[in-house]
Amino acid sequence: MTSILVTDPVIDELVAICGPDNVFADKSSRVNRARVPAPFPVHRWAEHVPDVVVLPTSAEQVSEVVKLANRHRIPVVPRAGGTGLTDGAVPLRHGIVVDVKLMNKILEVDLDDRTVTVQPGINMLKLNEELRQYGVIYPDDPASYPCSLVGGRIGTSGWSLIGGRYGHTRDLVISFQIVLPTGELIWVGDGGGRKVRKSSTGYQLKQLFMGHQGTLGIVTEAVLELVPRPEAEFAAFFSYPDYETAWRSTGALAKSGLATLAGVVLFDEWKLDYLRRDDEAYIPQPDDVRCVVATAMYGTTDEVRPGAKRLLRIGKETGGAYLGDEISQGDWASRHDRYATPLHGRLRDGQVVPMSWHCEDASINWSKLPQVRREWHDIVARLGDRFRIFDDWGMFAYTNGAFKPWGDYLTEIDVGIWEQELDDAAWDAWVTAKRDIAAVAIAYGGSISACHGACREGEVDLVPEELGGAGTS
Amino acid sequence: MIGFRYSAQRPPDPRRINDAVVQRFDHVYEVDPALMRDHVRQHDFPAWDTRRIVDSRWEHLAWMHDHWADSVISGEELMEDEPTGE
Ligand SMILES: Cc1cc2nc3c(=O)[nH]c(=O)nc-3n(C[C@H](O)[C@H](O)[C@H](O)COP(=O)(O)OP(=O)(O)OC[C@H]3O[C@@H](n4cnc5c(N)ncnc54)[C@H](O)[C@@H]3O)c2cc1C
Repeated sequence: MTSILVTDPVIDELVAICGPDNVFADKSSRVNRARVPAPFPVHRWAEHVPDVVVLPTSAEQVSEVVKLANRHRIPVVPRAGGTGLTDGAVPLRHGIVVDVKLMNKILEVDLDDRTVTVQPGINMLKLNEELRQYGVIYPDDPASYPCSLVGGRIGTSGWSLIGGRYGHTRDLVISFQIVLPTGELIWVGDGGGRKVRKSSTGYQLKQLFMGHQGTLGIVTEAVLELVPRPEAEFAAFFSYPDYETAWRSTGALAKSGLATLAGVVLFDEWKLDYLRRDDEAYIPQPDDVRCVVATAMYGTTDEVRPGAKRLLRIGKETGGAYLGDEISQGDWASRHDRYATPLHGRLRDGQVVPMSWHCEDASINWSKLPQVRREWHDIVARLGDRFRIFDDWGMFAYTNGAFKPWGDYLTEIDVGIWEQELDDAAWDAWVTAKRDIAAVAIAYGGSISACHGACREGEVDLVPEELGGAGTS
Repeated sequence: MIGFRYSAQRPPDPRRINDAVVQRFDHVYEVDPALMRDHVRQHDFPAWDTRRIVDSRWEHLAWMHDHWADSVISGEELMEDEPTGE
């Protein structure tokens, strides 16, 4: 079932480059690399199946594959963990999927200059297991921590749960090697030195290749930041009787100036209703728990202990009630791995149906969160009025700044979708809702995406509007 | 080896928590079976399997704490040490 472009001679050439064990043209290898967890028109699966999958093991092999694809004009899509939420790894026009999972080696640990050099197919959890013996960690911590990979983190310019303390992917990747669409290999960083964090020489190319979603090349090696393994972790969850108080408290906690503060998250009333419905920790909470704010700190014990006392005081003074150790510690630990999210939702009559989780994200300034929240929920409510297969799972707003957790927030609305029931009409309505959600983010001076990227049907149409408007009044 | 025990198979009868949730084991909540009728059927689960899953979950969370830091500071203890201003 290959397209006319990927002919047998092309497959023979790919085998000559990557070896016979690393080229897959069988149906299951291809069908399994057609989608990512973003909502997917499952009724049109066949439109996105790649023609062939290769798993190279070196930068030279990647370069040869890209050159071959160029010669034959075949589309190429890099794929890492396949957890991206904006379709970047979906082969929209078939072609070759370059799956980087076999490029998963640690090439060097440099404890003097505090770097680790890796291939792009390594996962952060596995990397940190290896780094533990040296007393250091690589602190890029998405909620997909156990399953996303370094290549995909660079491809999306990812956002980290603890970025308020340690920075996000773009701050933690010091430099990297990338195979350009021509097949040439270059290094990009801040200046020329591979382990240099800050330079004023020439143009800063690193940011151009951050979050390019595989459109500008394929990363084949990266030099990453190392930080001391934290001695202490502290998590505090506070409850509030209403949104207004919780939102103000979020602002106060985020602006506390506590250096070990890694993040502050505000869960709104819809999120609480959803959690109260299906999450063990929240079902027993009394009715006056309407919103929750979660905080986490990392660092040396000498810093975290006094900081935690101050944080508890601020939470209380701004109207929060500490929810206790069990929920604070347990829920925080579960945030590193949100694949545990329940995979069912409800119809309006309460009946359980299979639903997959999806979230729309944006960067929104703190002052605009209440308005954006109202408008986003209205959009999803209208969608649910028309199609029973959409279920509003609530919103959260999470500190978004690197090293300084204040100012703007990764803002997400979670929507359950009964994908098996999707048809063209429901899919079109979903795409329209996505466009409306993105338009609200822009209207309030935000950005369409804080971490996932903005290249799916619907939202992608508005990217020129967002970027074209920058700098105008 | 103890072998088959009926009590290890059969979950206790459910107790209603609210209009959408029932409970058979401490800290373990279940969707009201009446809400799992039309599109998704509830599975019959042996009691030992529910306990195994819950224990694994706790183990996973403990593993995660240990993965990220040497120790976890307790908010409850901090508040006992120093009341946060009543
Ligand atoms: C449960 C869950 C929770 C999530 N939480 C977060 C979160 O907290 N923060 C966050 O940022 N994201 C989150 N995401 C989204 C996703 O995990 C991230 O976008 C992640 O960075 C994708 O990594 P991946 O390895 O799965 O990449 P993929 O999905 O395989 O690829 C992502 C993009 O990068 C490109 N790419 C892959 N490899 C390379 C390479 N070697 N060179 C160049 N481009 C490449 C792909 O073409 C694609 O465009 C979450 C997703 C899920 C499912």
